[in-house]
Amino acid sequence: MNINTTREWVHGLTALILGLFLLGISSGLGIVKNIVDIWSAFLSVPEYPAVIMREMFLNWRAWSRDKDFLNVEVTKLREENANLRLELSKMTGEKIYSDDKQKNESKTARVTLRAPMSWWNEIRIDKGEIDKITQGIPVYHDGYLIGRISSVSKMSSWAELITSPSFMIPAVIEETRELGVVVGDGSGTVLLRYIPAGRGGRNGMKVSTAMIGEELPPGLPIGKISNEMTTGSDGYATYKIELGADLSRFYTVSY
Amino acid sequence: MILVILWLIQDFLTVFAGGMQIPGLFMLGVVCKLLFNESSDGNLYLIWTAFAGGILWDLRWIGIPGFFTIGNVIVVLIVIQIWGAIPPQGRISGTGWLVFMLMSISQLIPPMLPVLILGGNTGWEFFLMRQAYSLPAILITMYFFNRKMKEKTV
Repeated sequence: MNINTTREWVHGLTALILGLFLLGISSGLGIVKNIVDIWSAFLSVPEYPAVIMREMFLNWRAWSRDKDFLNVEVTKLREENANLRLELSKMTGEKIYSDDKQKNESKTARVTLRAPMSWWNEIRIDKGEIDKITQGIPVYHDGYLIGRISSVSKMSSWAELITSPSFMIPAVIEETRELGVVVGDGSGTVLLRYIPAGRGGRNGMKVSTAMIGEELPPGLPIGKISNEMTTGSDGYATYKIELGADLSRFYTVSY
Repeated sequence: MILVILWLIQDFLTVFAGGMQIPGLFMLGVVCKLLFNESSDGNLYLIWTAFAGGILWDLRWIGIPGFFTIGNVIVVLIVIQIWGAIPPQGRISGTGWLVFMLMSISQLIPPMLPVLILGGNTGWEFFLMRQAYSLPAILITMYFFNRKMKEKTV
């Protein structure tokens, strides 16, 4: 082995050891998250044309493929929405609010990072303080709650997903008005806990956020009950929730 | 400079594809440079370039530095050892399959590490898709490699 080959091996092995060292220590370090944010903010400049081109491409594809279907769907939903608003106004005696106010309320953000190590726990989106994002606001996909903003920086934010074990919110079964707590298990499943057992089947019933929560407004749709998992000795059951949003296929969120 | 541009193009295409796995253009560039390189200093430079490219890729797309960093360095070491074992005269002709294999390794090893370590069916699906997308990129790179090799020998 000549001197050049030895040098190449020394450099190569040093780089490998350094890589392994970084891999070993960085998963638990908060500073890595900051570096990731700074690097992504820097790259957002050269990536900007790609984002615009992708949006144009997706819009064009969606328009060409789903135009007719969407038109029918939108008309149907508008009618349904109008009827529901009418019902609500009859029940509460309130005036029907203007459509214009609601139109611009929902904004869209792009998911810029979903780290494999925390796949079911958090995502990063490309909107931050300058887009008026604040900590604690809910994040939706397809109109269903999927999480809430956990930390905000200048140009990006992190959102904790509903599947995270630390995401616990009060929720209500809409059909029975029973209250419970929605909690994730960190591996893609969302559970509804503390529901009194033995009061009949609840499969297919809708679950939304409850009024007793302080951070999230009531009535945000979450999903529906899919099946009962366990019943504890204390007389309370745990149900599995089928989320309304598909957490395996989302590239954008609304807030 | 060309490697910086290739890294940025790879990042650009990944954003355009919505985070999908696209061919590792940066590593194809590194392998090409290694195949034309004849100095030991050049090899050292490429080891650390691959290392830096891997860290930056990990920070952008994986969130944890180390996965592509290690993969890239392993690829460079393999290419240096295999290509270095062939005498310069033998590198001109009859190495098509070898070049194809070295370029394929550059597309196979770096994305395999995150899947092996983190696991998951989705990860394997993405990995296999990336391999399928990489094939045309490898063939195009080989075409340019052969052209440049011919120019060099004439």
